[in-house]
Amino acid sequence: MSTVLVVAPIVIANWSVISAAVIAGVGSVGYAVVSGVETPGRTTNRQVGNRAEIEVENSEILATGVIPGQEIVVQKDGVTVRFSRDRQGALKVCVEGEGLSKSQLKQVGEDLIGVVTQQYAYHRIMTEMKNQNMTVVHEEVDADRTVRIRVKNI
Amino acid sequence: MRCVFSKGNKMSQRELEIEIAPDGKVTVRTIGIKGKECLDVAQALIQGIGTEEHREMTTEFYESEHDVTQHQNLHDRYQ
Repeated sequence: MSTVLVVAPIVIANWSVISAAVIAGVGSVGYAVVSGVETPGRTTNRQVGNRAEIEVENSEILATGVIPGQEIVVQKDGVTVRFSRDRQGALKVCVEGEGLSKSQLKQVGEDLIGVVTQQYAYHRIMTEMKNQNMTVVHEEVDADRTVRIRVKNI
Repeated sequence: MRCVFSKGNKMSQRELEIEIAPDGKVTVRTIGIKGKECLDVAQALIQGIGTEEHREMTTEFYESEHDVTQHQNLHDRYQ
């Protein structure tokens, strides 16, 4: 070992890349996508209950290709989570569900933001790795969902 | 964007360990790369992904390929 770098990802991408990261990420932790696109005039299984909203600070969704009001809605165990682009262009996560406190819903949202950010970082690294003519020689996922990859140049 | 590995036959020795934490934080460790090149290789892979939070150089970073060759020569001489 000779150098160690630690990087906190900043999610900057267009809506289609974000959508792919959300769908792949939340799917891996058991959420089902119930709606890929929702416009303001349409509602999908709106729930009555507590609600928590989180704006993902280190994110920017590029305006190109985003339909106003577009969001991805996912559900699991009575919890509904909506991913959308806020007015400032950041990723916004809204968590709703009955029987859970606001802080519990916030925790659910933050965990899912981690899942999506991890998926985004994985995608970026795999893309850059190919650009660098490197290949994966080993990959494993720990019980805590940490992804470990060993790569070498071809 | 592209990092150029210019040292010919030593390319096969270049490996990286990447860890992506559940919150998305990325840790990259270079393996068996000497000198400043190890930093270049790691940075090339993660450029544009986010903001660097921590950087750590181990002794190999300060060890040039020339030093490595000299050590090897001494080692060979006393075998």
